[in-house]
Amino acid sequence: MIGRRVLLAGGAAVLAAPARAETPHRIVAVGGAVTECVFALGVGDRVVAVDSTSRFPAAVRGLPQIGYMRALAPEGLISLNADMMLLSADAGPAQALAVLRAAGAPIRSIPEVPTGDGIAAKIRAVADALEVDGRPVADTVLADWQSLDAPIAALRPVRTIFVLSASRGAPLVSGAGTLAAAMLAAGGAQNVVSGYNGYRPLSAEAAAQIAPEAVVIMDHVLQEIGGIDALLAVPALAVTPVVRTRRVLAIDGSYVLSFGPRAAHARRDLAMLLHPGAPLPALPARAWT
Amino acid sequence: MIGADSVTVRAGGRALLADVSLTLNPGEVLAVVGPNGAGKSTLLRALAGDLAVAAGQVRVEGRALRDWRPIDLARRRAVVSQHVALGFPMRAAEVIALGRLPWHATAQMARDEAAVTLAMEQAGVAHLAERAYATLSGGERQRVQVARALAQLDGAAAPAALLLDEPTASLDAGHRGQLLRLLRRLARQGTAVLAVLHDLNEADFVADRVAMLIDGRLAACGGVAEALDPTLLQRAYGLPFRMVAGGGLLPDFAAGGR
Amino acid sequence: MSLALATASPRARGRVAMLPLGAALLAAAMLAGVLLGPAPVTMGGLTATVLDVLGIAPLPAEYVRDAAVLGVIRAPRVLMAALVGAGLGAAGAAMQGLFRNPLADPGLIGVSGGAALAAVTAIVLGSSIFGAAAGVMGLWLLPVAAFVGGLLATLMMARLGTVQGVAGVATLLLAGVAVNALAGALTGVMIFMADDRQVRDITFWTLGSLAGSRWAHLPVVAVLVGLPTLALCALARPFNALLLGEAEAFHLGVRVESVKRLALTLAAVAVAAGVAFTGLIGFVGLVVPHLVRLGFGADHRLVLPGAALLGGTLLVLADLLARSLAAPAELPVGVVTALLGAPFFLWLLRRRGMGA
Repeated sequence: MIGRRVLLAGGAAVLAAPARAETPHRIVAVGGAVTECVFALGVGDRVVAVDSTSRFPAAVRGLPQIGYMRALAPEGLISLNADMMLLSADAGPAQALAVLRAAGAPIRSIPEVPTGDGIAAKIRAVADALEVDGRPVADTVLADWQSLDAPIAALRPVRTIFVLSASRGAPLVSGAGTLAAAMLAAGGAQNVVSGYNGYRPLSAEAAAQIAPEAVVIMDHVLQEIGGIDALLAVPALAVTPVVRTRRVLAIDGSYVLSFGPRAAHARRDLAMLLHPGAPLPALPARAWT
Repeated sequence: MIGADSVTVRAGGRALLADVSLTLNPGEVLAVVGPNGAGKSTLLRALAGDLAVAAGQVRVEGRALRDWRPIDLARRRAVVSQHVALGFPMRAAEVIALGRLPWHATAQMARDEAAVTLAMEQAGVAHLAERAYATLSGGERQRVQVARALAQLDGAAAPAALLLDEPTASLDAGHRGQLLRLLRRLARQGTAVLAVLHDLNEADFVADRVAMLIDGRLAACGGVAEALDPTLLQRAYGLPFRMVAGGGLLPDFAAGGR
Repeated sequence: MSLALATASPRARGRVAMLPLGAALLAAAMLAGVLLGPAPVTMGGLTATVLDVLGIAPLPAEYVRDAAVLGVIRAPRVLMAALVGAGLGAAGAAMQGLFRNPLADPGLIGVSGGAALAAVTAIVLGSSIFGAAAGVMGLWLLPVAAFVGGLLATLMMARLGTVQGVAGVATLLLAGVAVNALAGALTGVMIFMADDRQVRDITFWTLGSLAGSRWAHLPVVAVLVGLPTLALCALARPFNALLLGEAEAFHLGVRVESVKRLALTLAAVAVAAGVAFTGLIGFVGLVVPHLVRLGFGADHRLVLPGAALLGGTLLVLADLLARSLAAPAELPVGVVTALLGAPFFLWLLRRRGMGA
């Protein structure tokens, strides 16, 4: 009964009202790319809390943590007195979002599409919610991204796999539909594992058959395994050409796979790792990189 | 009160009871005796309704057992099994009070307290009331279960039946005597008492009639003298028995050599 | 009542006072659950909300947020916690009584394993298999799937565990083990098929959370958890008879097979419906009944309602801590129930001993 009365009293409309009246000045950012967008737009000083996937820029490390973005806490979010909650489209669970909506929380869902256009749309959506002009940043990032399209398309795609972890048993390898797969494709690699979506353990037989030339792996994962030699000793990788090429490319996951404003630079860096010495145009340093 | 008509009970293709007919009458103590594995407990469980009979039927007050509602049966017959282990710790008094369950929501509920007190006195367990059941000795537990059964039958409208499976097994001589005298007293008050007994002297002392089971068949059922006939006993136990002066039966263990 | 008095001792009389005490405890916990939390609510906000709810005075604009926190977030959540906790506690007590086994909990009858399998399937395949239905059912897909999955698993366990019309306790237990193993294996298949994000979703679901509680759920939970819980409490007498064993219960006039079927059904419905909205919440069903027994004895007229009241209390308090301790983030409530209850249980166990 209480809920209905509060809603009848106009809770949803009234609670969100201050956010419409003026530019939001207490922002909760959920999702690594979303947070980067807020900072890229120059309003990072208004962020009051972030989720655990938000690790860049360094300023976010001192902010209150709302936890993992797939396990949102409705009351915790409300307690932050935010006038704008920017939630990555990947945030959840759906039931908690429904509670937030019912409580009239000022939430805005930001689309997550791992393409150049998707990144620009993401920046514009964040800017729109924050009532700032997002076009300069969005257009610059898109232009940077697109300047790489033709040069990278001209390169011979490297037969690559992305290893998420290999600490026990068969290595967890990306198939189609992951951020890693999207970035590999953008960076001039051919993800040779395309038979499934998401991450799966890769058997030695399958690995031998698909014969990757290079392995892309997050730097901290490679460290945990114990370096390139330890990684290549994993049976599923020991049977691949990578043992000869020794092309194990360590990347910073939160940089390369975030698909935020730094994505164009990340794309170029990955492409240069895959194709050393390739004639790719240099990208000027930006305020947000 | 309770009757068996040509009851046969099978388990795993073997007949545990074959074609047994007998009747338990109000006001009598019927002792069921026989060697190990003769089917004594099976007969008791068949009469109590625990077992499905393969042939024949058990009747209670003339009606087939399966036509009775369990609650109506519970208000006229109680059963004391050999070993009762509790699911969770309880005090003896709580165990005895469980005997009053069949009377819940009846006029007899008013007697709950008095029935439990009386049953504890009759079974001589009043001093155990606050003890944890799990800490009682085997004999004390047996007497608590007897008290529970007595509490259950307190308030029965018609003559009640009490079925006991080796109620004296864990008791010392003194408590055995007390229990047997209690059974006699109950019979005198009109209760139908059936007790599976191991000790033929106890049967001799307590029973009005004795049923002798051998290999699942009723070898004899009648007066003590008839059922505890020395030839029958020799057949049943493979040992000669002799009467001793002043009453009593002694198995002659030495008969087979030492 | 009469029985407790029949065995009257000072200790026994003290026990009768336990139920009102438990109810008061639950009420206090619920009040704390509504009043406390990471989003501070002022006295003025509380008063304004109460006045608004009672229809005495309209809500002033400055208290809209307080009213939303109290009315939209906390109140349904606290009610949900109380109901689900009560259901888990009573179902746990019933299963321990039925199986005469102190290690029994609602998970034993396959209900949580089946619910988990269905929930995980809904998480992984929801959009692809149910397709249009997933859109239509929206937020209800997961709870409905979990509820149905839990019931189906228990039904399967009961069928497998019944031989010639008799559901033997040992056979039932083994059937439950088998059904759980099967559900666990199929859940593993689903996890194998899940993407990274779904695996995280699954992990959080299995740790339980009340964060998604809404008013719309409460009528459903009140009926599907509340009614079976009350019905289980009404089975206290047959459960007391079962303390002596199944044969003895029958001698005392209990229709043992009917009671078993009924208790299994009620427990399965209560647990499945609760789990459907909150995910798996461990510990409550297993240990809360023991807490009540250690304190007040094995009489199911106290154990069943006592476990319901204490289960509700524990889950309400655990949820309060879950949303407060790591604020503005939230701990999984299943973690908190165990962290809260296990040390207390061990302390009580050491102090009283199981045999006493």
